[in-house]
Amino acid sequence: MPGRIIRQKEFDLAKLQVRSDVAGSVWKIMTAVGQKLDPGDTVMIIESMKMEIPVITEDGGTVKEFCVAETEAIAEGQVVAILET
Amino acid sequence: MAQPKDKLAETPAEPRTEPEAERAAEIAELRQRRAEAEKLGGADAVQKHHDQRRLTIRERIAGVVDAGSFQEVGKLTGQGRYAGDKLLGVTPAPYVMGLASIDGRPVAIGGEDFTVRGGTSWSGERKKGGQGGFVEDLAHQYRIPLVNLIDGAGGSVTSIRRRGHSVFPGVHGFERSVQLMGEVPVVCAVLGTAAGGPAGRAILSHWSVMVKETSQVFAAGPPVVERSLGEKISKEELGGPAIAVDGAGTIDNAAASEAECFGLVRRFLAYMPQNVWELPPVVMSGDPVDRCEDELLHIVPVSRRKAYDMRKLIRLVVDRGSAFEIQPTFGKGLITCLARMNGKVVGVIANNPMVYGGAIDVKGARKQTHFIDLCDCFHIPLVFLVDVPGFMVGRQAEAAATLREGMRSVYVGLQATVPVYTVVIRKCYGMAGMGATDKNGLDLKIAWPSAEWGSLPIEGGVAAAFRKDIEGAPDPKAREQEIEAELRALASPFRTAEAFGVEEIVDPRETRPYLCRFIDAAQGRLKSTVGPKPKFGVRP
Repeated sequence: MPGRIIRQKEFDLAKLQVRSDVAGSVWKIMTAVGQKLDPGDTVMIIESMKMEIPVITEDGGTVKEFCVAETEAIAEGQVVAILET
Repeated sequence: MAQPKDKLAETPAEPRTEPEAERAAEIAELRQRRAEAEKLGGADAVQKHHDQRRLTIRERIAGVVDAGSFQEVGKLTGQGRYAGDKLLGVTPAPYVMGLASIDGRPVAIGGEDFTVRGGTSWSGERKKGGQGGFVEDLAHQYRIPLVNLIDGAGGSVTSIRRRGHSVFPGVHGFERSVQLMGEVPVVCAVLGTAAGGPAGRAILSHWSVMVKETSQVFAAGPPVVERSLGEKISKEELGGPAIAVDGAGTIDNAAASEAECFGLVRRFLAYMPQNVWELPPVVMSGDPVDRCEDELLHIVPVSRRKAYDMRKLIRLVVDRGSAFEIQPTFGKGLITCLARMNGKVVGVIANNPMVYGGAIDVKGARKQTHFIDLCDCFHIPLVFLVDVPGFMVGRQAEAAATLREGMRSVYVGLQATVPVYTVVIRKCYGMAGMGATDKNGLDLKIAWPSAEWGSLPIEGGVAAAFRKDIEGAPDPKAREQEIEAELRALASPFRTAEAFGVEEIVDPRETRPYLCRFIDAAQGRLKSTVGPKPKFGVRP
């Protein structure tokens, strides 16, 4: 069924997007493009509510690109980095 | 999974007399009718259902309950097809239900059969289930848990043509479903596309779950939405788990497959008593009460700006492998899980410093309210692991009614009568911090040495309270820092302990044995106050 194949692709894509659970500003990017990350690794740190909040990858992967820069303000749920497997 | 042995499957002895032949014919018809029920909506409909990666209602029931324990009720219901007075076949009623057991304890279980008319409502002399009906009467009368396996779209306008009139909403109402919420555990699993009544029924539960990719839930589906609002949207976008579970919290948990979902249903019920007149079962895990984990000593970072893994902290304190998280992806600033301490069920409410520093936002507050209600209803003591800077602040938070939703959780907490244990891990500020205590009970508050508390954090408070002093100083910034330092020294938790403003400061490693001791001691008191809990007053 073609509909299902498209849905599956979207699902895979979503898995590679790293999102921030919180709104705030990018305090420090802890990784570099091309770096291999394990599940649970910290991709970057967001400053929110006077706290340093790590953005963690649940699945791991290789950093393909960052969607934000340091000091940039970000929204809750925003994609901050894209990984590839 | 094995079905209970059907005695009728054994070939009876050859009939010898006419009355014996008549009896044999009756039994043969009963066998034929039962065989028709087993076929559900027919091979083609079942195949189509399987192709959508969905199991049939009979497979689902078998997947949830103890092997061979399903005793069906109302197996003969449906629409017979006859040639003269000879039965040709029966289209079964689109609902299968009965009595079964989970971990050896009886439960009432039922669900729509999607392969028969899409699981739409059926009107026999008596309703089988889905919204009231025999299965809900069984749960109510016998005071046993109810498991609803939901896969139906509710009413259909086609019934108008059949009846010649339209049905007033609530003919088969929610009144029994609502009554059950105060009597027995009710679990709803959404296993297909649920709209209307079945979707509403899913919410009237103590815990609900849906399956990723194959289930959706909404008040009305895409065709109605498009007709009403001109909004074109797929059913996954409208009511898949990303909206219904993660975003809205309409459904509590999501499972990756139906099989995983059935395991979760069994797991949830393992923490529940059979009804509110009993206490939850004690399950000893062999995990020693005096297990003192060194990791707890270093889990809270020295820097107050750094967050830490609260889920790991929970795992280190409760019985090994016993934490079962409710609503893990909704309102992520708060963690709610059922767990065991020395075998006794507890409800853990922990702030998650990884999300807005653990501040209570509107979703976290709603999650806390629901979880307190759940635990209080089934006599499950609450353990608060506190690291809360307060209610979420800001325009967005105010616009979302965080204050009202937050105070509702404080209100519900103060109406709860189960023992509440407060463990202050780090921050405990303001109304949100107060909401984590047991003002009507023993009010036992223990704290880690990393704890700090007050009406509001010193950082924000000094600028407001000492404004004149600060503005009048030659170097206002330096004066502000000076006052902050002075107050911070006085804010040591040991000074509050001196004044018995907090009952105990514990070494973090002692948290488990300390809590176990008090939870064990409260068991007799819990036994003496079982029963339904009417709540008075008006929730804010």
